[in-house]
Amino acid sequence: MNVKFLNPFVEAATEVLQAEVGVSPARGNLTLHKSALTTDEVTVLISLVGQVQGVVLYGLSVATGLALVSRMMSQDFAEFDSLAQSGVAELGNVITGQASIKLAGAGAAADISPPTLILGRGVTISTLDFSRIVVPLACDLGQITVHLALRESPSDGRGLSAVPLLANVGLAAAGRSAP
Amino acid sequence: MNVKFLNPFVEAAYEVLRAETGVAVARGDLALDKHPYVTDDVTVILSLVGRVEGTVFYSMSRETAMALASLMLGERLRELDGLAQSGVAELGNVITGRATVKLADAGYASTISPPTLLVGRGATISTLDFHRLVVPLDSDCGRVLIQLAVREGANRGQTMAALPVPARPALAGS
Repeated sequence: MNVKFLNPFVEAATEVLQAEVGVSPARGNLTLHKSALTTDEVTVLISLVGQVQGVVLYGLSVATGLALVSRMMSQDFAEFDSLAQSGVAELGNVITGQASIKLAGAGAAADISPPTLILGRGVTISTLDFSRIVVPLACDLGQITVHLALRESPSDGRGLSAVPLLANVGLAAAGRSAP
Repeated sequence: MNVKFLNPFVEAAYEVLRAETGVAVARGDLALDKHPYVTDDVTVILSLVGRVEGTVFYSMSRETAMALASLMLGERLRELDGLAQSGVAELGNVITGRATVKLADAGYASTISPPTLLVGRGATISTLDFHRLVVPLDSDCGRVLIQLAVREGANRGQTMAALPVPARPALAGS
Protein backbone atom coordinates (compact mmCIF):
# COMPACT_ATOMS: atom_id res chain seq x y z
CA MET A 1 0.00 0.00 0.00
CA ASN A 2 1.35 3.28 -1.05
CA VAL A 3 0.72 6.48 0.88
CA LYS A 4 0.85 8.55 -2.30
CA PHE A 5 -2.60 7.23 -3.13
CA LEU A 6 -3.96 8.75 0.03
CA ASN A 7 -3.94 12.47 -0.64
CA PRO A 8 -6.19 12.34 -3.71
CA PHE A 9 -8.83 10.70 -1.55
CA VAL A 10 -8.52 13.14 1.32
CA GLU A 11 -8.63 16.10 -1.08
CA ALA A 12 -11.56 14.64 -2.99
CA ALA A 13 -13.49 13.92 0.21
CA THR A 14 -12.89 17.45 1.45
CA GLU A 15 -14.01 19.01 -1.83
CA VAL A 16 -17.04 16.79 -2.27
CA LEU A 17 -18.24 17.14 1.32
CA GLN A 18 -17.84 20.89 1.03
CA ALA A 19 -19.73 21.08 -2.26
CA GLU A 20 -22.47 18.55 -1.58
CA VAL A 21 -23.02 18.89 2.13
CA GLY A 22 -21.44 22.23 3.04
CA VAL A 23 -19.15 20.91 5.76
CA SER A 24 -15.38 21.14 6.05
CA PRO A 25 -13.98 17.92 7.43
CA ALA A 26 -10.82 17.85 9.53
CA ARG A 27 -8.41 15.05 8.87
CA GLY A 28 -7.41 12.91 11.83
CA ASN A 29 -4.34 10.77 12.31
CA LEU A 30 -3.37 8.18 9.76
CA THR A 31 -3.04 4.57 10.77
CA LEU A 32 -1.93 1.47 8.89
CA HIS A 33 -3.88 -1.72 9.54
CA LYS A 34 -2.90 -5.20 8.47
CA SER A 35 -5.82 -6.95 10.11
CA ALA A 36 -9.40 -7.13 8.92
CA LEU A 37 -11.74 -4.20 9.37
CA THR A 38 -14.75 -4.53 11.64
CA THR A 39 -17.62 -2.59 10.15
CA ASP A 40 -19.38 0.44 11.51
CA GLU A 41 -23.14 0.67 10.90
CA VAL A 42 -22.81 1.79 7.29
CA THR A 43 -20.00 0.93 4.89
CA VAL A 44 -19.71 2.00 1.26
CA LEU A 45 -17.44 -0.30 -0.73
CA ILE A 46 -16.00 0.71 -4.09
CA SER A 47 -13.32 -1.10 -6.07
CA LEU A 48 -10.67 0.45 -8.25
CA VAL A 49 -9.39 -1.33 -11.31
CA GLY A 50 -6.56 -0.03 -13.46
CA GLN A 51 -3.06 1.13 -12.79
CA VAL A 52 -4.11 1.33 -9.15
CA GLN A 53 -6.20 -1.53 -7.88
CA GLY A 54 -7.94 -2.42 -4.68
CA VAL A 55 -10.82 -1.35 -2.53
CA VAL A 56 -11.90 1.86 -0.84
CA LEU A 57 -14.27 1.67 2.10
CA TYR A 58 -16.10 4.55 3.73
CA GLY A 59 -17.36 3.72 7.21
CA LEU A 60 -19.86 5.83 9.15
CA SER A 61 -22.68 5.57 11.66
CA VAL A 62 -26.34 5.64 10.66
CA ALA A 63 -26.70 8.98 12.47
CA THR A 64 -23.88 10.49 10.41
CA GLY A 65 -25.29 8.97 7.24
CA LEU A 66 -28.71 10.49 7.95
CA ALA A 67 -27.22 13.88 8.75
CA LEU A 68 -25.19 13.87 5.54
CA VAL A 69 -28.05 12.92 3.24
CA SER A 70 -30.44 15.30 4.99
CA ARG A 71 -28.08 18.14 4.08
CA MET A 72 -27.34 16.76 0.64
CA MET A 73 -30.98 16.53 -0.37
CA SER A 74 -32.20 19.42 1.82
CA GLN A 75 -34.85 17.34 3.49
CA ASP A 76 -34.95 15.65 6.86
CA PHE A 77 -34.36 11.93 6.86
CA ALA A 78 -35.50 10.13 10.00
CA GLU A 79 -35.01 6.65 8.64
CA PHE A 80 -32.14 5.10 6.74
CA ASP A 81 -34.36 4.09 3.84
CA SER A 82 -33.33 3.27 0.29
CA LEU A 83 -33.17 6.94 -0.73
CA ALA A 84 -30.86 7.71 2.17
CA GLN A 85 -28.79 4.62 1.37
CA SER A 86 -28.50 5.64 -2.22
CA GLY A 87 -27.45 9.15 -1.13
CA VAL A 88 -24.64 7.84 1.06
CA ALA A 89 -23.50 5.43 -1.64
CA GLU A 90 -23.54 8.27 -4.15
CA LEU A 91 -21.39 10.38 -1.86
CA GLY A 92 -18.83 7.56 -1.78
CA ASN A 93 -19.13 7.23 -5.53
CA VAL A 94 -18.51 10.94 -6.18
CA ILE A 95 -15.58 11.11 -3.75
CA THR A 96 -13.98 8.04 -5.32
CA GLY A 97 -14.63 9.34 -8.82
CA GLN A 98 -12.97 12.67 -8.01
CA ALA A 99 -10.07 10.88 -6.37
CA SER A 100 -9.59 8.68 -9.44
CA ILE A 101 -9.43 11.79 -11.66
CA LYS A 102 -6.69 13.12 -9.40
CA LEU A 103 -4.92 9.77 -9.48
CA ALA A 104 -5.13 9.72 -13.27
CA GLY A 105 -3.59 13.19 -13.29
CA ALA A 106 -0.72 11.75 -11.26
CA GLY A 107 -0.25 8.96 -13.80
CA ALA A 108 -2.20 6.22 -12.05
CA ALA A 109 -5.43 5.87 -13.99
CA ALA A 110 -8.16 3.61 -12.67
CA ASP A 111 -11.80 2.88 -13.29
CA ILE A 112 -14.14 2.57 -10.36
CA SER A 113 -16.86 0.02 -9.79
CA PRO A 114 -20.44 0.91 -8.85
CA PRO A 115 -20.81 1.30 -5.08
CA THR A 116 -21.96 -1.52 -2.81
CA LEU A 117 -23.50 -0.66 0.54
CA ILE A 118 -23.02 -2.83 3.62
CA LEU A 119 -25.33 -2.25 6.56
CA GLY A 120 -24.66 -3.84 9.90
CA ARG A 121 -22.13 -3.32 12.59
CA GLY A 122 -19.53 -5.88 13.58
CA VAL A 123 -19.03 -7.77 10.35
CA THR A 124 -15.43 -8.41 9.40
CA ILE A 125 -14.19 -7.19 6.04
CA SER A 126 -10.85 -8.56 4.98
CA THR A 127 -8.92 -7.10 2.10
CA LEU A 128 -6.60 -10.11 2.38
CA ASP A 129 -3.05 -9.28 1.36
CA PHE A 130 -3.84 -5.59 0.92
CA SER A 131 -3.04 -3.62 4.07
CA ARG A 132 -5.28 -0.64 4.80
CA ILE A 133 -4.48 2.98 5.36
CA VAL A 134 -7.16 4.46 7.58
CA VAL A 135 -7.94 8.18 7.80
CA PRO A 136 -10.73 9.56 9.94
CA LEU A 137 -12.47 12.66 8.59
CA ALA A 138 -14.35 14.51 11.30
CA CYS A 139 -16.97 17.16 10.60
CA ASP A 140 -19.96 18.71 12.38
CA LEU A 141 -22.14 15.83 11.29
CA GLY A 142 -19.94 13.09 12.64
CA GLN A 143 -17.01 11.03 11.48
CA ILE A 144 -16.37 9.30 8.20
CA THR A 145 -13.55 6.80 8.22
CA VAL A 146 -11.82 6.27 4.89
CA HIS A 147 -10.09 2.93 4.44
CA LEU A 148 -7.78 2.56 1.48
CA ALA A 149 -6.56 -0.87 0.47
CA LEU A 150 -4.84 -0.04 -2.78
CA ARG A 151 -1.69 -0.93 -4.63
CA GLU A 152 -0.12 -0.36 -7.96
CA SER A 153 -1.18 -3.01 -10.43
CA PRO A 154 1.48 -5.53 -11.31
CA SER A 155 1.33 -4.87 -15.06
CA ASP A 156 -0.14 -1.95 -16.97
CA GLY A 157 -3.43 -2.62 -15.27
CA ARG A 158 -5.33 -3.55 -18.38
CA GLY A 159 -7.14 -6.70 -19.25
CA LEU A 160 -6.95 -9.72 -17.09
CA SER A 161 -3.72 -9.06 -15.28
CA ALA A 162 -5.43 -9.55 -11.95
CA VAL A 163 -6.49 -13.08 -12.74
CA PRO A 164 -4.04 -15.80 -11.87
CA LEU A 165 -3.90 -18.93 -13.95
CA LEU A 166 -5.82 -21.86 -12.60
CA ALA A 167 -3.59 -23.13 -9.84
CA ASN A 168 -2.96 -26.82 -10.14
CA VAL A 169 -2.94 -27.55 -6.43
CA GLY A 170 -6.40 -28.94 -6.91
CA LEU A 171 -5.35 -31.45 -9.49
CA ALA A 172 -3.66 -33.42 -6.77
CA ALA A 173 -7.09 -33.71 -5.20
CA ALA A 174 -8.41 -35.87 -8.01
CA GLY A 175 -8.76 -38.93 -5.84
CA ARG A 176 -10.02 -37.15 -2.77
CA SER A 177 -13.63 -36.74 -1.78
CA ALA A 178 -15.26 -34.07 0.32
CA PRO A 179 -14.64 -34.18 4.06
CA MET B 1 -29.70 -7.30 -15.25
CA ASN B 2 -29.17 -9.58 -18.11
CA VAL B 3 -29.40 -13.36 -17.81
CA LYS B 4 -26.85 -13.85 -20.58
CA PHE B 5 -24.17 -12.72 -18.16
CA LEU B 6 -25.05 -15.52 -15.79
CA ASN B 7 -24.02 -18.64 -17.66
CA PRO B 8 -20.33 -17.74 -17.87
CA PHE B 9 -20.30 -17.54 -14.06
CA VAL B 10 -22.10 -20.84 -13.60
CA GLU B 11 -19.82 -22.58 -16.10
CA ALA B 12 -16.72 -21.04 -14.56
CA ALA B 13 -17.80 -22.01 -11.04
CA TYR B 14 -18.49 -25.52 -12.19
CA GLU B 15 -15.10 -25.86 -13.89
CA VAL B 16 -13.09 -24.19 -11.17
CA LEU B 17 -14.71 -26.05 -8.27
CA ARG B 18 -14.14 -29.27 -10.14
CA ALA B 19 -10.50 -28.52 -10.88
CA GLU B 20 -9.58 -26.96 -7.57
CA THR B 21 -11.54 -29.04 -5.10
CA GLY B 22 -12.54 -32.10 -7.09
CA VAL B 23 -16.22 -31.81 -6.16
CA ALA B 24 -19.07 -32.12 -8.63
CA VAL B 25 -21.51 -29.25 -8.55
CA ALA B 26 -25.24 -29.28 -9.28
CA ARG B 27 -26.97 -26.06 -10.21
CA GLY B 28 -30.18 -25.18 -8.39
CA ASP B 29 -33.02 -22.90 -9.45
CA LEU B 30 -32.34 -19.40 -10.56
CA ALA B 31 -34.02 -16.52 -8.73
CA LEU B 32 -34.16 -12.76 -9.27
CA ASP B 33 -33.82 -10.88 -6.02
CA LYS B 34 -34.61 -7.17 -5.75
CA HIS B 35 -34.00 -7.00 -2.03
CA PRO B 36 -30.73 -6.36 -0.30
CA TYR B 37 -28.74 -9.48 0.46
CA VAL B 38 -28.49 -10.49 4.10
CA THR B 39 -25.09 -12.06 4.53
CA ASP B 40 -24.32 -15.67 5.25
CA ASP B 41 -21.19 -16.52 7.30
CA VAL B 42 -18.73 -15.91 4.49
CA THR B 43 -19.10 -13.69 1.43
CA VAL B 44 -16.52 -13.06 -1.27
CA ILE B 45 -17.11 -9.78 -3.10
CA LEU B 46 -15.61 -8.88 -6.47
CA SER B 47 -16.43 -5.99 -8.77
CA LEU B 48 -16.39 -5.94 -12.55
CA VAL B 49 -15.59 -2.84 -14.53
CA GLY B 50 -15.82 -2.59 -18.31
CA ARG B 51 -18.45 -3.57 -20.83
CA VAL B 52 -20.07 -5.49 -18.02
CA GLU B 53 -20.09 -3.71 -14.70
CA GLY B 54 -21.32 -4.47 -11.23
CA THR B 55 -20.63 -6.82 -8.41
CA VAL B 56 -20.62 -10.55 -7.86
CA PHE B 57 -20.91 -12.18 -4.44
CA TYR B 58 -20.18 -15.76 -3.53
CA SER B 59 -21.82 -16.59 -0.24
CA MET B 60 -21.61 -19.71 1.86
CA SER B 61 -21.66 -21.03 5.39
CA ARG B 62 -18.53 -21.28 7.49
CA GLU B 63 -18.59 -25.10 7.16
CA THR B 64 -18.76 -24.90 3.38
CA ALA B 65 -15.97 -22.35 3.25
CA MET B 66 -13.74 -24.56 5.38
CA ALA B 67 -14.60 -27.70 3.44
CA LEU B 68 -13.77 -26.00 0.14
CA ALA B 69 -10.56 -24.45 1.44
CA SER B 70 -9.51 -27.79 2.96
CA LEU B 71 -9.94 -29.59 -0.35
CA MET B 72 -8.24 -26.82 -2.25
CA LEU B 73 -5.20 -26.72 -0.01
CA GLY B 74 -5.09 -30.46 0.55
CA GLU B 75 -5.14 -30.25 4.31
CA ARG B 76 -7.93 -30.33 6.85
CA LEU B 77 -8.51 -26.80 8.15
CA ARG B 78 -10.25 -26.51 11.50
CA GLU B 79 -10.88 -22.82 11.68
CA LEU B 80 -11.50 -20.01 9.24
CA ASP B 81 -8.07 -18.49 9.70
CA GLY B 82 -6.13 -16.28 7.31
CA LEU B 83 -5.11 -19.19 5.12
CA ALA B 84 -8.66 -20.51 4.82
CA GLN B 85 -10.00 -17.02 4.12
CA SER B 86 -7.40 -16.45 1.48
CA GLY B 87 -8.26 -19.83 -0.07
CA VAL B 88 -11.96 -19.00 -0.30
CA ALA B 89 -11.26 -15.52 -1.66
CA GLU B 90 -8.93 -17.00 -4.24
CA LEU B 91 -11.65 -19.42 -5.31
CA GLY B 92 -13.94 -16.45 -5.92
CA ASN B 93 -11.16 -14.68 -7.76
CA VAL B 94 -10.42 -17.61 -10.06
CA ILE B 95 -14.10 -18.26 -10.80
CA THR B 96 -14.70 -14.61 -11.62
CA GLY B 97 -11.53 -14.39 -13.68
CA ARG B 98 -12.54 -17.39 -15.71
CA ALA B 99 -16.05 -16.02 -16.14
CA THR B 100 -14.66 -12.74 -17.47
CA VAL B 101 -12.58 -14.62 -20.03
CA LYS B 102 -15.81 -16.23 -21.24
CA LEU B 103 -17.60 -12.87 -21.18
CA ALA B 104 -14.78 -11.28 -23.17
CA ASP B 105 -15.12 -14.05 -25.78
CA ALA B 106 -18.79 -13.09 -26.04
CA GLY B 107 -17.82 -9.47 -26.67
CA TYR B 108 -18.05 -8.13 -23.12
CA ALA B 109 -14.56 -7.41 -21.95
CA SER B 110 -14.16 -6.37 -18.35
CA THR B 111 -11.57 -6.18 -15.62
CA ILE B 112 -12.11 -7.54 -12.15
CA SER B 113 -11.12 -6.06 -8.82
CA PRO B 114 -9.19 -7.98 -6.19
CA PRO B 115 -11.50 -9.94 -3.90
CA THR B 116 -12.80 -8.60 -0.60
CA LEU B 117 -13.93 -11.05 2.06
CA LEU B 118 -16.79 -10.42 4.42
CA VAL B 119 -17.02 -12.64 7.47
CA GLY B 120 -20.11 -12.37 9.63
CA ARG B 121 -23.73 -13.30 9.32
CA GLY B 122 -26.65 -10.89 9.24
CA ALA B 123 -25.25 -7.73 7.66
CA THR B 124 -27.20 -6.30 4.76
CA ILE B 125 -25.51 -5.68 1.43
CA SER B 126 -27.30 -3.48 -1.01
CA THR B 127 -26.28 -3.26 -4.64
CA LEU B 128 -28.66 -0.28 -4.91
CA ASP B 129 -30.25 -0.12 -8.34
CA PHE B 130 -28.66 -3.36 -9.51
CA HIS B 131 -30.92 -6.40 -9.20
CA ARG B 132 -29.32 -9.65 -8.25
CA LEU B 133 -29.59 -12.97 -9.99
CA VAL B 134 -29.06 -15.74 -7.48
CA VAL B 135 -27.99 -19.27 -8.42
CA PRO B 136 -27.35 -21.95 -5.82
CA LEU B 137 -24.55 -24.42 -6.53
CA ASP B 138 -24.75 -27.57 -4.44
CA SER B 139 -21.92 -29.98 -3.82
CA ASP B 140 -20.71 -32.38 -1.15
CA CYS B 141 -19.12 -29.38 0.55
CA GLY B 142 -22.43 -27.60 0.93
CA ARG B 143 -24.11 -24.78 -0.92
CA VAL B 144 -22.45 -21.79 -2.55
CA LEU B 145 -24.72 -19.03 -3.81
CA ILE B 146 -23.58 -16.99 -6.78
CA GLN B 147 -25.20 -13.56 -6.56
CA LEU B 148 -24.74 -11.58 -9.69
CA ALA B 149 -25.56 -7.86 -9.82
CA VAL B 150 -24.14 -6.75 -13.14
CA ARG B 151 -25.32 -4.87 -16.19
CA GLU B 152 -23.96 -3.77 -19.49
CA GLY B 153 -21.34 -1.13 -18.80
CA ALA B 154 -21.91 2.48 -19.69
CA ASN B 155 -18.34 3.12 -20.73
CA ARG B 156 -18.35 0.54 -23.52
CA GLY B 157 -15.27 -1.11 -22.17
CA GLN B 158 -13.00 1.87 -22.59
CA THR B 159 -10.96 1.98 -19.47
CA MET B 160 -9.27 5.24 -18.65
CA ALA B 161 -5.99 3.45 -18.88
CA ALA B 162 -6.78 2.64 -22.50
CA LEU B 163 -7.33 6.26 -23.45
CA PRO B 164 -4.05 8.04 -23.01
CA VAL B 165 -4.13 11.71 -23.91
CA PRO B 166 -1.55 12.29 -26.62
CA ALA B 167 1.17 14.45 -25.19
CA ARG B 168 1.82 16.68 -28.18
CA PRO B 169 -0.71 15.75 -30.82
CA ALA B 170 -0.24 18.58 -33.33
CA LEU B 171 3.44 19.23 -33.00
CA ALA B 172 4.56 15.66 -33.34
CA GLY B 173 5.12 15.81 -37.07
CA SER B 174 6.42 19.34 -37.39
